[in-house]
Amino acid sequence: MVSAIEVRNLTKAYGELLAVNHINFSVSQGEIFGFLGPNGAGKTTTTRMLTCISTPTEGSAQIMGFDIQKQAFDAKEQMGVVTDISNVYLDLSAQENLIFTGKLYGLPKEKRLDKARELLEMFGLYDVRHESVKGFSGGMRRRLTIAMALVNDASVLFLDEPTTALDVQSVRVIHELIMKLNSSGTTIFLTTHNMTEASELCNRVAIISQGRIATIDTPERLKQAMDRVHSVEVVFDSSSSHLVKEMEELHGVRGVQKRGNKLRLLTLSPPEVLAGIFQFSERNNIRLLSVNTLSPSLEDVFLEMTGEEIVERPKGLGKMSGRRGPVGPRRSDH
Amino acid sequence: MQQGVRLDRLRKESARAWAIAWKDMRTYYLTPPSLMFGVLFPIALFFTFTVGRNLSSLQSLPILLSQTVFWASSTVGPVVIPLERRTKTFDRYLSAPMSLFSVLLGKTLAGIFFGLLVSIAPLLIGIFIFQAGVMNVIALALGIILSCFAFAAMGIMFASVPTESVGNIMMPLNFVRIPLLFISGVFIPIGELPLIGQVVACLSPLTHTLVLVRRGLGVESFNIPLEASIIALVVTSLLFLYLSFKFHESIKKRE
Repeated sequence: MVSAIEVRNLTKAYGELLAVNHINFSVSQGEIFGFLGPNGAGKTTTTRMLTCISTPTEGSAQIMGFDIQKQAFDAKEQMGVVTDISNVYLDLSAQENLIFTGKLYGLPKEKRLDKARELLEMFGLYDVRHESVKGFSGGMRRRLTIAMALVNDASVLFLDEPTTALDVQSVRVIHELIMKLNSSGTTIFLTTHNMTEASELCNRVAIISQGRIATIDTPERLKQAMDRVHSVEVVFDSSSSHLVKEMEELHGVRGVQKRGNKLRLLTLSPPEVLAGIFQFSERNNIRLLSVNTLSPSLEDVFLEMTGEEIVERPKGLGKMSGRRGPVGPRRSDH
Repeated sequence: MQQGVRLDRLRKESARAWAIAWKDMRTYYLTPPSLMFGVLFPIALFFTFTVGRNLSSLQSLPILLSQTVFWASSTVGPVVIPLERRTKTFDRYLSAPMSLFSVLLGKTLAGIFFGLLVSIAPLLIGIFIFQAGVMNVIALALGIILSCFAFAAMGIMFASVPTESVGNIMMPLNFVRIPLLFISGVFIPIGELPLIGQVVACLSPLTHTLVLVRRGLGVESFNIPLEASIIALVVTSLLFLYLSFKFHESIKKRE
């Protein structure tokens, strides 16, 4: 079976700068493929090349077997595109936006109207379908942008940060929609900063850094590769400034990070550290408010791979991630 | 590609180009920059340079008509494309199943129809109020239609500048548009220009617009054969469209 997306030596140069540097990967039909990377890593540039918005400097790519340069018309017929910005026509109404998109994809008039109605209802925009998009909120525009990408029942859907600016409820709707589309056979190419999103939705993820693919694997395998690093997060009913120092001295603790009223203890052996925490609590008569053990998240992998804000850990544990995104590591409460 | 497939593709591309043109007509014709540069500017310039020159209304009409066609048609692309670059809606055309050429053709059509629409007013005023007679319908029709095409394509060519600001395109465009008025017989008769000026005038598409419109309305004009003016406008239109395509394609490679 032909790959949904096949990328060979794809390169984009801006003068001397190689924004995307000879990348190779393949996405199978029916796969949800996550494309992760820090700002300026080349994610959007890659997506723009794959969606024919920008011309590659070198290399090639195929969408459902159609070359994006030599058979651009056929390749583009296979795809739906959600760019990182909600690019809707502000002077048109929501319904007109969808109908116009239908015209660009050559849908017959009847089908355009049916599809517009279906999508307006699906995205909760039916009641405002005749209103100018200019008055829409950011979330409404985002939903309309995604709806516009679904007009042509694409085989491959490119989603560049689809849940940016959406509230929790809308994000859940979009995630369910992605799963539903995928279960009906649509291949999803998902560019995201949201590690939980990538971890929960994607079959495989690629991490791009400085224009090169750092790694491609399933989220679980990537996390396993980093499984050596665990941490224990603890909250004491005390705000003593000595707590950090005392935690550092516990057996098995390789480093301590203070995050608000929480202390994160890095360790290779969580049970050993947990025992030490309970003993410390009893010995000093300081009540424990909560204790969590944290396993490595996709975010940790991402930070490790891309070298984003790496800082030296105390006590010679090597490197550790010095930044956390909006969603923290996966946790199990005790 | 087989003949049938080619025709089907041509039909699809044409329909999509027309969809873009129709959307632009509905969306952008009444925007302030379109009205300012496409309607108010030519009228203001017309009065600036004709008042006090002792021209009859019949002599003034071709000037107003040519100017209107010139300004209106060449304004739409430079207004629409940067606005769509700003909102990233231009990217939608590039990722839609259609060629860049069809996208630009759609944009050009929007310019052509704006030029035709705006030029109707002075033409009707001339015919019904100032009793101007149409002496050569074909010359007049071709003069207006081909000029709309040529100037709309010229606007699209300038709009290839990768900017999100209308002003960044209007400035270089006006550097070309305003001098063209002075070498094309609009304000200074071509016969009064030095020889080199007359040669340069023949290279300006606006000269040929004025020649055809004047002949169409039965007004004396610079001695250029009608056929030469028609060919000049056709060649200019195709050249501008081709250059637009090449410039936009080059931008796509660099972006």
